[in-house]
Amino acid sequence: MNWRKLRIFILTVLALALIPATRYYQIDVPLLHFLKGSRAIDPLTLHLAGEFVENNLGTEQGADGSVTVRMIAQQYLFVPHCILVPAGVPVHLRITSADAVHSLAFNGTDYNVKVLPGTISEAQLRFSNPGDFKTVCREFCGAGHYAMRSELKVVPREQFPVLRAGERGNCAAQ
Amino acid sequence: MRVKGETVRRNKRQGGYDWSFLWLAVAVVATGSMMLVASDSVPERIPSYVSWTPETIAAAYSGDDFRGMLLAKRCEHCHGAEGFSDRGSTPNLAGIDRLTIWKELEDFRSRKRTSRVMEPIAESLSSRDVADLVAYYARLPVFADLQDNRNFPQARPDPSHAGMASHLVSFGDGGRGIPPCQSCHGPVAYRPGVPSLANQNGEYVLSQLEAFAGGTRANDINMPMRTISSLLTEDERQALAEYYGAGLGLQPGSSSGAR
Repeated sequence: MNWRKLRIFILTVLALALIPATRYYQIDVPLLHFLKGSRAIDPLTLHLAGEFVENNLGTEQGADGSVTVRMIAQQYLFVPHCILVPAGVPVHLRITSADAVHSLAFNGTDYNVKVLPGTISEAQLRFSNPGDFKTVCREFCGAGHYAMRSELKVVPREQFPVLRAGERGNCAAQ
Repeated sequence: MRVKGETVRRNKRQGGYDWSFLWLAVAVVATGSMMLVASDSVPERIPSYVSWTPETIAAAYSGDDFRGMLLAKRCEHCHGAEGFSDRGSTPNLAGIDRLTIWKELEDFRSRKRTSRVMEPIAESLSSRDVADLVAYYARLPVFADLQDNRNFPQARPDPSHAGMASHLVSFGDGGRGIPPCQSCHGPVAYRPGVPSLANQNGEYVLSQLEAFAGGTRANDINMPMRTISSLLTEDERQALAEYYGAGLGLQPGSSSGAR
């Protein structure tokens, strides 16, 4: 391998290494838009149509047992206010903001999901042990930022209610 | 075994007509119809048809306050002269910003907020009437004229409640995730469509908090008030209603320390 080929190889590796970095720095990569589909959403009309209408928020159980949680972050609340997920199951989180930049952090874990208006943020979470977690906003979002907290309840898998089609789980349903 | 399987398959292909595509077609139709049924079974629950797009805001700000003043003669019977109601259960409209009253009238019109009195009234108004009315009420001063000697329902806050209310107004409750009221209802910050609570009737504030908590009023976009109100205890709702009913809402809340 000559020097010229090695140089091209190193540059290619560096360029490819940037792709996973986009997850953490929210860099807009047109190629990823093309591959994964657009994640753009209008923050002003979340309540009118689409996947963030209010009866679609909360925990959704797919037919194959997979779990999806949909949330809205807004000044100064996470909606739904208390979410319920089964332990030991990969949880697919989809969250968007209705106004400002927020950041959803689960106290006691390493998870910290940045939430931007106009974009659906996605994350794969897994909570191995049952318990109650406080979720807080870690991006200063305005006058009520310090009270912007909600709850996450992780229950053993057998205690998680069986959801019918169209039904969404939350703490009240338990 | 492999060789045998291959020969069998080849024989089949040569022998008769291949029906395997039929199974595929049946599977496609079945999954398609199942997906249709699944998507049909979840009707969307829309809290309000209003969204704060630039067009909406331009429409709400297009009114003429003089024409609104003439139209507002109809509203005075309940909402009072110059927007101050002497009935505790009817909201004061003086100084409430344009977007708030505009949204509530639109919601009454589309039956997203229910009221036997307001629904037919809102239906009888044209969009121009609504814009003119909100322009008038937004211009009125927040506090009544000192020479106005009508009897206004002034709730005197219970001293044991006052500390609780002012703490919730200025700090909220981080432990339960209740944001401070003043960060959206003023005077610290406002949001489009959120009423200023500078001088609101306590009885009305209480009835609305209870309606939000009980779900009988559900026109808040993205559910902030339904969530917060159901987190509050009954005592706290009462305390907040007294606090705002006494006209304390214009000063930034100062905590007495006692909780």
